[in-house]
Formats: sequence, C-alpha cells, structure tokens
Amino acid sequence: MYEKIFLAGNLGRDPEMRYTPNGTAVTNFSVATNERWTTQDGQQQERTIWWRVKVWGSQAETVSQYLSKGSQVFIEGRMDPDPETGGPRVWTGNDGQARASFEIVARTVKVVGRSGGTARFDELSDEDIPPEAFFGESS
Amino acid sequence: MYHKVVLVGNLGRDPEMRYTGDGTPVTSFSIATNESWTNRDGQQQDRTTWWRISAWRRLAETCNQYLSTGSQVLVEGRMNPDPETGNPKTFTRNDGTVGASYEVTALMVKFLGRRGDEAGVDVARDEQVPPEAETDADSIPF
Repeated sequence: MYEKIFLAGNLGRDPEMRYTPNGTAVTNFSVATNERWTTQDGQQQERTIWWRVKVWGSQAETVSQYLSKGSQVFIEGRMDPDPETGGPRVWTGNDGQARASFEIVARTVKVVGRSGGTARFDELSDEDIPPEAFFGESS
Repeated sequence: MYHKVVLVGNLGRDPEMRYTGDGTPVTSFSIATNESWTNRDGQQQDRTTWWRISAWRRLAETCNQYLSTGSQVLVEGRMNPDPETGNPKTFTRNDGTVGASYEVTALMVKFLGRRGDEAGVDVARDEQVPPEAETDADSIPF
C-alpha cells in the first residue's frame, strides 16, 4: 500500500511543542493551503484547506525552533486517521458542534519562502516515528 | 500554494457512476490503504485508512468500466474539503452520530489489477483538471 500527501502552505500560528511521558518530542502546527483558479466560464474560485500537522522526534525540536506563524513550509507525510473508522477524527467543540480535521503525520518538513529558507530538515522515515504516534496520542 | 494526495489502495466495493444535473458523469468508489508494522515492543500494528474517490467525465467512465471490488488502483488527486471550514466534510448517520470522510477528487487513476494478478497498467487521466466541477456541490447527486 502507499500513501503520500504533499503540502505547501503557511502556518496559521506558532508551532507548539511538548513531550510525551516517554520523553519524545512532538510538535503540532496548522498549515493552510490556499488555492485559486479561474473556471472555464471566467469565475474566480478559491479553496482553503486546513491541515493539522504533527512532527515527532528530533525533527520536532528543529521545527519548533525554526517555524513560526506565517512560515511557509513544504511537507510530505501521511494521514493520521481515527483508527476505529479509518476516517477523520470527529470531536465535539465547545459550542456542541461536531468537527473534523485533516491530521497529518509529517515525514519531511522543509522551510521554504519567506522565513529563512536556509533551514533544512533531514527526512524522517516512518520507522523513526515512535509507537506513541500510533496509539492515539492526542494533542 | 499546493497540495497533492497520492494513494495506492484497493476498492472496498464496486464503483458507482451517476450523472450531475448538467449531465456530467461522476464515478465514486472507496479505497482502503493499509499499513502494517512491528512496533518497538515487537507487536504487530495495523492501520486502515478509507478514502472516498470521485472521478469525473471520461475518467468516470473508465473507472466505472474497469474497477470492481478488490481492484487495486493508484490515485493521484486533491482533497475535497467542506468549502466553508477547510476541514473534512461531515455527515450525520441514521443513528444521529456525526461522521467524516476523506474525499479525494481524482486527477489521475492507474489500474494496477488485483492482488495476485499480473500487473496490467492502464492509466486514465481527467484531462480537464476539474476544479470547477468539485466545487459545484449542488450538482452532486449524493
């Protein structure tokens, strides 16, 4: 099987890093991909997708250091579904409304564009992603 | 900006083809991508992700013709979110609970045959690269 998701977008907020009980670093941030195009009948269309990205291990620490709100990033990773349904996690917000989000586990994170494009990150393989990532560690 | 989804998976059921209000064909099918691995404690772990794929126009006809339950496909496509939230589309089940799905609009589909078959490779593309079709939610009959 095979699954790769590629994103290039901007961080909506500063990344947040924390440590699991095992001492593994994990950093979370949201990326927006905004796409615009013109339809055949000349209409301007726009679509924004929000992706909640999770980065593990030593890469988490580097990401936390080099990224901030507005940073432009290129990411390769896979979807992190609800293990019971195989679909997006659904939860209830404070307002009682059901919500879902696209949650990605990043394998590769590259800083591009405006915020110091010289920062580089080594590629992280799935083998480097610790067990906690698969046991429904929630953020 | 940019995003792309690339998947190899198997169909969970036969594809379904329908026509939108203006006569555009659209074929829908679900594929599962499965991953197995052994964690650090030596335990076998499994994860299945389900993706709802929509193929339009000629791609719809080709997919409807060549795919069935168990077919293995390579899909290259775009995520289709709820345009209002930028999050996955949600739906309410008969029992009142809310679910969500990963909906992907296919730009390219490669037919890889079934498990155990000789790899017969056919590639079908949606030549029109159809963003406008994806956003016309009212015309989608399901």
